[in-house]
Amino acid sequence: MSETEIEWPWQYNFPPFFTLQPHAETRAKQVQAWKSLILDYCKKCKLYLIDVREASNIPLFNNSGINRKLEQTVIVSILSELQKTGHAAPIDKPKNRWEIYWHTLEEWSSMIYDYVSNRGLQGSVLTLYELSQGDDVKDEEFYEMQQEVLIKVLQTLEKDRKCELILSDDDQGVKFF
Amino acid sequence: MGIIFGKKKPISRVTAQDKAVLQLKQQRDKLKQYQKRIALTLATDRELAKKLLAKGQKDRALLLLKKKRYQEQLLLKTDNQLENLETLSHDIEFAQIELQVVEGLKQGNDALKQVNAAINIEDIERILDETREAKEKQDEISDLLSGGLTQEDEEAVEDELAEIIKEQMPNVPSTEVDVEEAEKSPHKTKEKTKQIPKEPVALEA
Repeated sequence: MSETEIEWPWQYNFPPFFTLQPHAETRAKQVQAWKSLILDYCKKCKLYLIDVREASNIPLFNNSGINRKLEQTVIVSILSELQKTGHAAPIDKPKNRWEIYWHTLEEWSSMIYDYVSNRGLQGSVLTLYELSQGDDVKDEEFYEMQQEVLIKVLQTLEKDRKCELILSDDDQGVKFF
Repeated sequence: MGIIFGKKKPISRVTAQDKAVLQLKQQRDKLKQYQKRIALTLATDRELAKKLLAKGQKDRALLLLKKKRYQEQLLLKTDNQLENLETLSHDIEFAQIELQVVEGLKQGNDALKQVNAAINIEDIERILDETREAKEKQDEISDLLSGGLTQEDEEAVEDELAEIIKEQMPNVPSTEVDVEEAEKSPHKTKEKTKQIPKEPVALEA
């Protein structure tokens, strides 16, 4: 991922921001700020997966400029907050690896379905590769979407009977309706 | 994915043709990935050859360029194969659409047949016959009910009708004829005036 031109909010250079605040009201604001910062950051870097154990490698949680890091437990609690609004989900039991959805799965799914209807692709079969990596989707926001996330997005569409996933060992595709 | 698909799904709408298209498209994806890879090695090979030339290792640079050339040819070949795959998958998709069209025509045809079957020609003839009979009967009834008119009455009615028509007709020519012909031949106008009073007499009789 490239660290190109991320506009950090003022809090990012504010040392207490990296420590969970004891005062409830302040803490609520702090968590809120972290939530939007995480989503913004992931959106800019097209980051779909955060491993909490390696979080200190990401500049987001580690501001070397002011020598501050966010504690892993705090990260998990903030990510859990994001989970409530459908913007994140842990993919393992110990809650170490998290998928981040800067658009919720529903938002993604309507985005993809819009793309499909605009191109008249209903009734045709697409591979997951061409949907996330193909030349036709280069300008779409879901370009280079992680396959696991893509599958989840398509599964939400599948519930609405708007598509059907074809997932076997060597076939990975989706048919839209 | 087994956990999510554990529950019974409604009948799959994915046909065998869809799967075939998917496989073709996956093959196409693989070719595209292959092309990307070759394009990358081409670029690095070129850089490497430049470096080797700078170092004075002309032979190795030449070898590298040969390899590059070969890979470029491979790239061309994969392009052709890609085209083949694309055409084939498009053909399958189009054939599916054609199938749908035929299916639609069939359904339309069936519907038309059903509607037509509901209309029986004999029935229509029978209905028309019955209507005609009913009309005749109706005429008969009304004849009976209002049939008080005798032959004389009929004639009287017709005469009255003729009179009304005549009364209306002469209005137009009478003024013109009177002005012009009264000077030239007064006899004719007199004959006309004599004729008019005769008619009401005939009516009264």
